[in-house]
Amino acid sequence: MIAGRFDELIHAPTRLSIVSLLAATEWADFSFVRDGVGLSDSALSKQLTTLEQAGYVEIRKGFVGKRPRTSVKLSGAGRKAFTQHVAALQEIVARSGASVLPSQV
Amino acid sequence: MNPDVQPDEAASALSAVRRQQEQVINAVLVPGWYWWVIAALAVGLGAAVDSHREAVLAITIPVFAVAVAVLTAAMIFGGYRRAQVRSTDLLGPRGALRIMVFVWLLVGTILGAAFALRAGHLRYPGTIATAIGAAVLVAGGPVLMRSLRGIMLSNRPTGPQ
Repeated sequence: MIAGRFDELIHAPTRLSIVSLLAATEWADFSFVRDGVGLSDSALSKQLTTLEQAGYVEIRKGFVGKRPRTSVKLSGAGRKAFTQHVAALQEIVARSGASVLPSQV
Repeated sequence: MNPDVQPDEAASALSAVRRQQEQVINAVLVPGWYWWVIAALAVGLGAAVDSHREAVLAITIPVFAVAVAVLTAAMIFGGYRRAQVRSTDLLGPRGALRIMVFVWLLVGTILGAAFALRAGHLRYPGTIATAIGAAVLVAGGPVLMRSLRGIMLSNRPTGPQ
């Protein structure tokens, strides 16, 4: 059982989407994250910088052939914070006695 | 714990988490065309074996091996992939077992059919056996993907729903 710990930084809707997406991956292309969360390049860069400064993501720049490629990875600290945040959300919902079924949200 | 967050807001956030993770899982599944291409290549190899011509085999076998290796590597690691799913958490041993069972079922079907057809002195045992294997591949591949998708969805931190 993971103890819940609410994380204000992750809870912001855009960052929650980014971290949720990254939590399901080992790594993801910048463009994959951008398309997945529906942000512009600059807006995503800004959010990733915030997460990187918190130590939650690692950003790697490299090349595939001659094309530059930026990939993003959730760090160990970021993964732990996300798991604890999800547990905290589940605790809030469970305490209220409400269902967490998406269709009922 | 943040006392300001209401249960409906928390439930909404959990739904957003599920949606994003489902999106990743859907994106990393092998597309349907992959099974058709591999199936066609396998039948081509079977036909080449039945031709009993060394020159044909000398070309077909390396082409088959390289094509399958390149396609499969592209599915798993290559430029086709824009994200690598966290297989240890999401797929887990249950997913790995299903992949292994599928591969063994496929290999067993092709080899079993080929030996049986050859023992029965039927013509073109290689072509027929690989055609049967191709049918298993084309029908079973998408079923395997749906099954793996279900496993990955249920292994998310937020659960299957």
